[in-house]
Amino acid sequence: MNNADENHSLEAGEIARFLSYIAILAASVALYLSAEHIPSSRFEVLGAAAFPRFVFAAIFLIAVIAIVDSLRKIPGHAWGRFGSEVQHWLKTRYLVIVCFVVFAAYLLLVPILGFSIASFAFVFGLQLILMPRKPLTLLVAVLVALAFSFGLNAMFAEFFNVFLPRGDFLNG
Amino acid sequence: MGDFLTALVQIFAVSTLLYMLVGSVAGIIAAAIPGFTVTMAIVLTLPLTFTMEPLQGVAVMLSVYVGGLTGGLISAALLGIPGTPSSVATTFDAFPMARKGDPGRALSLGVWASFFGTLISTLILVVAAPPLAIFAVKLGPWEYFSLIVFALTIVASLVGASVIRGLLAGLIGLAISTVGADPILGRPRFDFGIEMLETGLPFLVVLIGIFAISQLLSEVEDSRTVRSGAKLVTDAIDFKTWKVMKEVLMSPVNLIRSSVVGVLIGALPGAGGSISNLVAYDQAKRASKTPEVFGTGTPDGVIASEAGNSATAGGGLIPLIGLGIPGSAVDAILMASLMVHGISVGPRLITDHGDLVYGMFIAMAVASFMMLIVSVLSMRLFLRVAEVPKWLIVPTVLTCCVVGSFALNNRVTDLYLLGIVGLVGYALRTLGYSLAPLVLGVILGPIAETNLRRALMTDSDPTQFLTRPISLIFLIAAVMSIGWAIRSHLKTNKMNGVKDANAS
Repeated sequence: MNNADENHSLEAGEIARFLSYIAILAASVALYLSAEHIPSSRFEVLGAAAFPRFVFAAIFLIAVIAIVDSLRKIPGHAWGRFGSEVQHWLKTRYLVIVCFVVFAAYLLLVPILGFSIASFAFVFGLQLILMPRKPLTLLVAVLVALAFSFGLNAMFAEFFNVFLPRGDFLNG
Repeated sequence: MGDFLTALVQIFAVSTLLYMLVGSVAGIIAAAIPGFTVTMAIVLTLPLTFTMEPLQGVAVMLSVYVGGLTGGLISAALLGIPGTPSSVATTFDAFPMARKGDPGRALSLGVWASFFGTLISTLILVVAAPPLAIFAVKLGPWEYFSLIVFALTIVASLVGASVIRGLLAGLIGLAISTVGADPILGRPRFDFGIEMLETGLPFLVVLIGIFAISQLLSEVEDSRTVRSGAKLVTDAIDFKTWKVMKEVLMSPVNLIRSSVVGVLIGALPGAGGSISNLVAYDQAKRASKTPEVFGTGTPDGVIASEAGNSATAGGGLIPLIGLGIPGSAVDAILMASLMVHGISVGPRLITDHGDLVYGMFIAMAVASFMMLIVSVLSMRLFLRVAEVPKWLIVPTVLTCCVVGSFALNNRVTDLYLLGIVGLVGYALRTLGYSLAPLVLGVILGPIAETNLRRALMTDSDPTQFLTRPISLIFLIAAVMSIGWAIRSHLKTNKMNGVKDANAS
């Protein structure tokens, strides 16, 4: 990556941070206003809404400072390149996206398939995505997937009396 | 003397030592798994001690406790994921040290610091239990709130590269702690009718999501190194146990200061290892002549964090033994185990059951030696984690995170929360937000709110915070802490300015 590319990337990063400040600011305003609906108490001076309101007001204040500071750092021409920089960033991080999608699918499947089956599919599947594919690594992947799915489930049930989700699929 | 000898005989019985050894191993392993706290390990141990003699049972639980306080170090140093909340600050320097090719030194530093921290806390426990217990109990909600205000100023030294983003992260942590039923009257807040938000965001799920999931996702950012079968640590692992022991002993001030911080925080009911490691780290950084090296893999950071969290074990026993008040959840379980055997824990414990109290002191010291032996002997095994390729470690640790999050409350909704928090954590990490202030906010938020409201319910006059001497001392310390942080940041900016000017 040359100097110009690096500068473009840093500028895009600052724009992304600027957008995060805006999101945080909007959330703090919305939550501050929603704290109005928390019922007050006649037994205490502050009530349940006071502390959150104080926190959201502080977030608002700091977010405003952050936005002003960020706007100062972003050159005008950087905005035009932001879309293409984001695309490039997503392209270089595709493995992170794949990993998270697989992980999210796993979390959703645990209550349906049960811990053991979902974990076996997840651990084996993700290893398959990430590993250099050779016969030996495939064998290791299967053994590890078995240990961290059915093995882990049996260990928790036997030794700790912690019963991991059995799954609607197995419960009928 | 008779009580002491009776206790000595009971602790050094072969069966007790064997049970303690098993307890120490179990504590280390449980805490090394992200999401498994020391408290959970002790809860699981409790039923097993019902058939034992009271002292034997307590000794086993203490060895699980001491082992657990050290075990969190393993995943913190090797994976950058705090195994327990009490090893959050350990990740700041132990992980960079491991990544620079020195995982053996990072682990050894942590183990030795934990060992000395536990021993120092035991010594303080023996000498100062009665007076410290009376002091801790005299603190009212005013003093607690002021103490938490002081603790929150730690954010100033954890902000990382950007003060603004660090402050925002700390405040987001405080905001997260306000979700769910309010801590005084139980009124619902910010749940928007969503069932999983009604009881609030479980601290451990937030911790695992923020640190573990985001760290594991960042491990697979470079697809070429992952697919080539790269290991977490690529350099040769050097194991420097005895050299590191000398290194730890060469930092006596840091070691003693961090241990005293751990004891004091451990002695305060409600506080514990999750706060003490951060406070000890903060104090070490402030006292250092080179604070800028903290966070890059400096040994002082590892020593402070590990000595600080391990010393809470002795600190927590102070109010328990002195007054019968458990300082933490773990101490409450220890108390329960004694009550199961018909022993009432209170101010008369020392006079009525002297052998038991002496036995607890001896058990603490023995447990710290057990932890040291187990850790030193098994360190080579733990260091193998650093040799495991990323394609194997990422899916398996993600599965452990899922188990840890589920086992906490047996709730499937916590898993969905884990996914969401993990994604947010990765986004914040990528955008350059420091994650430590966020976790600190989540820990301290409920304690700050509870004590602020309780203080004003007791007396609506807010000047009480300034007129009560101990509260005032904490508030002055907070102001001084902020002043120090501003001075330090200005100094760093000035130095960077000079460097830039020289470079151009």
